[in-house]
Amino acid sequence: MTVAIRATDLVKSYIPGVRALDGVSLDVTCGEVLVVMGPSGSGKSTLIRTFNGLEPLDGGELDVLGMRLDAAHEEHQVRAIRKRVGMVFQQFNLFPHLSILDNITLAPIKVQKRAKAAAEQRAIELLDQMGIREQARKFPAQLSGGQQQRVAIARALALDPEVMLFDEPTSALDPERVKEVLDAMRQLARGGMTMVVVTHELGFAREVADRVMFMDQGQVVEISDPETFFSNAKEERSRKFLNQMQH
Amino acid sequence: MNRWLDRLITLLLAALIGWGGWSTLHWLIHGADWSVVTTNLPLYAVGSFPADQRWRPLVWMVGLVLLTVLTLLGPKRIGWRGALPLLWIAMAPIGLWLLVGGLGLLPVGTRDWGGLTLTLLLTAGSGMLALPLGVLLALGRRSALPVLRWSSTAYIELMRAVPLIAVLFFGQLLIPLFLPPGLEINRVLRAVVAFALFAAAYIAEDVRGGLQAIPPTQREAAEVLGLSPLQSLQLVVLPQALRIALPSLTNQAVGLLQNTSLMALLGLVELLGISRSLLANPAFIGRYLEVYLWLAAVYWLCCTAMALLARHLEVQLDPVRSNR
Repeated sequence: MTVAIRATDLVKSYIPGVRALDGVSLDVTCGEVLVVMGPSGSGKSTLIRTFNGLEPLDGGELDVLGMRLDAAHEEHQVRAIRKRVGMVFQQFNLFPHLSILDNITLAPIKVQKRAKAAAEQRAIELLDQMGIREQARKFPAQLSGGQQQRVAIARALALDPEVMLFDEPTSALDPERVKEVLDAMRQLARGGMTMVVVTHELGFAREVADRVMFMDQGQVVEISDPETFFSNAKEERSRKFLNQMQH
Repeated sequence: MNRWLDRLITLLLAALIGWGGWSTLHWLIHGADWSVVTTNLPLYAVGSFPADQRWRPLVWMVGLVLLTVLTLLGPKRIGWRGALPLLWIAMAPIGLWLLVGGLGLLPVGTRDWGGLTLTLLLTAGSGMLALPLGVLLALGRRSALPVLRWSSTAYIELMRAVPLIAVLFFGQLLIPLFLPPGLEINRVLRAVVAFALFAAAYIAEDVRGGLQAIPPTQREAAEVLGLSPLQSLQLVVLPQALRIALPSLTNQAVGLLQNTSLMALLGLVELLGISRSLLANPAFIGRYLEVYLWLAAVYWLCCTAMALLARHLEVQLDPVRSNR
């Protein structure tokens, strides 16, 4: 099994003395779905944002698809990684001034220098896959949150990434819109995509995750398969968190 | 009780407005002598441009009017609409060529330029210079490089602390003193440059406001897609920021048009300058009211056209509205 992301002893602090990441080490294997859970402020978002260089590291090192990233990384190293790692944000972050189609084809045309027609054809395929082909000519503000998030997934997929990072992709959605986004992610996981997903969706974690990682106070508390994690978590802190999640 | 008082006030006000309107109308028709306007229309339009060449500035202005009408009232959803922005931009070099001459046209010196033509040229020229300069200053002010940030801030604050008339005097009178003898920058060009330098400081602040309204997550989303910082600025941040700044930028453009009248104090015979020299003519002595009313009407017309065009642009650039 090849390793997609190997993190060794990652350290990140926003405020001196307070570590958002406090010696995090983990491997993500190719084709795996890793779900990251933990209370807010536990460092899970910070962690996946280091994977594509959005958060510069203060210590430790990363190996992302064979490319090294550490505290002394350079801009071009980060951009090489970003071309192969897609990311979906909590707030969608679509470009409001561009149509859905232009949102998706912007990077393929400008970064990968693909032909416009080919990029558009691929975008339509992806929208079709996401079940929103008919929205191609609309603008982000005209779509529901769930539709916007599916566009965001299509936009990330348009660059044919090898790894997809999801940073709380359903946390900003109305409850009745969560399922359509999770379904799209399920489909992606079935296709064999390597995924790291920060989420509070227990059902998704139980059903789709290959492994669940629980973080607290910037540290990895435990990494287990979902069955063990949900029915028989090893650590007291994990059990307490799960208890609170299920009320 | 109150109702009677209300009626009384209403009646009194109506009578006052009626009386004011009537006497104004009466003066406009019977009292005023409009010959100072009617006999000098060519002067107001093109200044002392040689009579046999007057068609050149006139063609330019008719072109501007046609383009305005076409933009505002022309049929929608037709292929040539895409060419409109290009046509507008092309009006600047075309206007310059028509006025300066050369390339088959008789050359005309800038001291013969004047009237509305010069007013419009000063506005268009300085606006087109000031916008890119203002955008660069706004970006400089937000730059991570301290030297760039400080110098942009210093420039903006300095320019905003100095009255426009002082900047214009500086441009007209002082710059030539610093230049080596023999090298002379054209008067109109000096005015345009001084105007642009001044307006850029204000435009920079409007653009900065637009830039600040764009959440940093937009830049993040662009970065994550592999766009370079320059691409993210050009394709994601600036288009949104400029759209947000558009209403304030319109304000600046209207202000620019009106401020060109200050050039009259420096001896350029734009719209106000030509009027002042007409009033100095013994044949039209004392016709202040007529001339200034006429001027107010012309300025009002130009500003209204600009405001309408800007409003039109806002609607066009609003993705959701133009998509319906």
